[in-house]
Amino acid sequence: MSRRRTFADKRSVLAVSVLVVFAAIPLLSSLISYVTARSAQPFLEMPDPKYENCVRETEYMRYHHWELLAEVREDFVRHGKRGDITLSGCKECHPNRERFCNQCHNAVNLTPDCFGCHYYPETPEAELMETYLNGKTTAPAAIAAAERNR
Amino acid sequence: MDVKFKPIDGNTPRYWTLVGILAVLALAGAWSTWLMFKQGIYLSGMTNRVPWGLQIVMAIYYIGLSAGSLVVSGLYGIFGKAEYKPFARMAAYLAMLFLIAGLLSIITDQGRTDRVFIEPFSHANPWSMFSINPSLYIGHITICIIYLWALFNEKYRLTKVASVTVVAWAIAVHSGTGAIFAFTPRELYTSPLLPVAFVAAALSSGAALMILVITALFKITKRHLDLGLIVWLGRLLAVFIVVALYVIMIENLHRFYLIESRHAAMYYLFGGWHAFLFWGGLILVGSIVPALILFKTKTGTSLRWILFASVLVVVGVWCERYMIVIPGQTFPPELFPGMEIVRSPLNEGIAVYNISFLEVLQALGVLGVIGCMFVLGLKYLPLAPAEARTVGESQMLKHMMPDAEVTEAAVSAEN
Amino acid sequence: MDRRDFLKRSGVFLVGAPCAYVLHVLPVSGARASSGHATATRRWGMVIDLHKCLEDCTACVESCRHENNVALHGDERWDVYWIRKVDIESKEPAVGTEESVPLLCNHCDDPPCALVCPVQATYRRDDGIVIVDHHRCIGCRYCMIACPYNARFFNYKENHDWHNKNYPKRSHGVAEACNFCAHRLDDGRLPACVETCQGIAGALTIGDLNDPHSEVSRLIADNPVKRLREDFGTEPKVYYIGLPGR
Repeated sequence: MSRRRTFADKRSVLAVSVLVVFAAIPLLSSLISYVTARSAQPFLEMPDPKYENCVRETEYMRYHHWELLAEVREDFVRHGKRGDITLSGCKECHPNRERFCNQCHNAVNLTPDCFGCHYYPETPEAELMETYLNGKTTAPAAIAAAERNR
Repeated sequence: MDVKFKPIDGNTPRYWTLVGILAVLALAGAWSTWLMFKQGIYLSGMTNRVPWGLQIVMAIYYIGLSAGSLVVSGLYGIFGKAEYKPFARMAAYLAMLFLIAGLLSIITDQGRTDRVFIEPFSHANPWSMFSINPSLYIGHITICIIYLWALFNEKYRLTKVASVTVVAWAIAVHSGTGAIFAFTPRELYTSPLLPVAFVAAALSSGAALMILVITALFKITKRHLDLGLIVWLGRLLAVFIVVALYVIMIENLHRFYLIESRHAAMYYLFGGWHAFLFWGGLILVGSIVPALILFKTKTGTSLRWILFASVLVVVGVWCERYMIVIPGQTFPPELFPGMEIVRSPLNEGIAVYNISFLEVLQALGVLGVIGCMFVLGLKYLPLAPAEARTVGESQMLKHMMPDAEVTEAAVSAEN
Repeated sequence: MDRRDFLKRSGVFLVGAPCAYVLHVLPVSGARASSGHATATRRWGMVIDLHKCLEDCTACVESCRHENNVALHGDERWDVYWIRKVDIESKEPAVGTEESVPLLCNHCDDPPCALVCPVQATYRRDDGIVIVDHHRCIGCRYCMIACPYNARFFNYKENHDWHNKNYPKRSHGVAEACNFCAHRLDDGRLPACVETCQGIAGALTIGDLNDPHSEVSRLIADNPVKRLREDFGTEPKVYYIGLPGR
């Protein structure tokens, strides 16, 4: 009985190392985005000072808001428990997604699925334009509101 | 008996052209899948009435093909037929590849492919056939890898254990795949015999494909292959064909005989162009003609006829898979017994399923991926035997071929 | 830990872990999934009075479409209808019965769609509503195969009609079906179709089947009611008054 070691030749080693590199690509990419997320200093538009506190402290919100959102989503969708924290609640203090959410998401090259289905317009102006186009408001009112917001 | 394995050279332009073609197919499939992921799977021919299309047909077809390869492999591992040892490695490798192809077909068919690797692991529903089956498939692939390792390193005891396990597991895999359809409350799906029919058809299609692959490999690389081995496989194939035909016949007779399901059976057997696939593809081309060819001594011992019959079976079983998946969906469920829906914003009658080009591309892409893996495996892994000869006097072969010279005849020989 | 001990322990783990897993998921799996706030004492059900339903009226369909952002692409292959109106006619010409019937998800007590969902995205809430969690759905379409009522639909295309901004729409690639407007019921409002119909014909009624004094229970007690294909054993919770046929 010949007991050749079939996986030990050079070509196999090469093949295995290619496989390992391919497997490492997703790991590396997520590591890189983690590092960039920690070091990124994107511009974030602060909410109106009249809104005093967010639902959690800033540091937690910056790095864990998706966990919080996933948690309340689970409570609401799976168990019918409606809490105070909602995605549309975020919109009240941070109406400008372009200058808030997208800043970080773009910096770490991330596109969350949320906004495809949950209404969160890029800018308040875009929202007004949309309501105007739908015939829900008049042009002067839309322009005035846009002016106020700026 | 010591069998020598010799990887193919694979330095000819022909070899690399083949690899190139398969790689291009795989890329085309990936492109088509990406397009559907971005724009929605309306690009396939599927509709709200026919939510499962070509990809599911191909998935169960591939999974079926893996069974036959395992049987050929098990001839050595379980029954100790030493003359089939040369094919054991190749067959086990092919079985693994077809399982991968089945999984790939299912994965690329999902609406949200991005979630396929997250949700089934975090929130699996253990009662769903769609979570039982992938577990079975992954287990099957793992056992195949262990089995291959045992074969590669000539571990005799492990080979024996692994081959018994892998065949038993394969039966679970194929029954489970049949159960995806059989355990749902659709008129043409619900049937306790469907998993059995699935296993039977799987064995015949897989054995047929194995015959084709073995012969092609030995012919192209000009290695010695005794005709007797192929003839015996052909005989085995004939038995599988008859069993599959029998189970399918019983299933349809039962459906036809009961008054409550006769309407559905009429649709299945005669209502539309899929009836041609059933009678022409499955019954005539896929079962009766190859069975006659293989059972008749003169044609059953001629290589050309055996190959022809194998091609017919491979095509016929594809028709069988199509008949499992599609007519059950196009036939409308009866929502109002005794009443007829005359007006609706949707199609409530018999639905139509038209295969789209992108869907075909996806299916070819999966074929390209496993084709590539197989061809490269032949070059880089010790899969291909140097030669395959019959051992001693086989009583059955002698009986089948009274002409002693035929037993010695070779399909192909070294030049 | 010597070798034998190690083998013993790993054996216990290998056998025990799957068992523990199955035992853990058993009570919350499949048809009887979920727990929580949606109270178990309530069981939502609907009664549709076909004598009152107007033949050419599709107000329920339209209001549902606007409330829930249901996709309408203008192609019957991919159009989604959480509720749809069909006209049925007796197969016996002599009987000649004709009726216009609203069809929607039956919110079965034993929903085959929830049983086959591989990721528990479709589940039955404790108050009996069958819901799709669109965050979890992988789009395998097994539920559409399993539903014997053709009441489930798939988002084959991206939906660009966003009528009601307060309610999310669905991305392409997930399955969906009527959910009795669970978000409205939780707020103490009526589903869109019921609210609309009550202003027009009053054919649709929704209520608690467990409460013997609710209007649906009264209607079921006072009228001969029928459910769609009760022989399937799925225990639908949409009752029809005056449904012709066997």
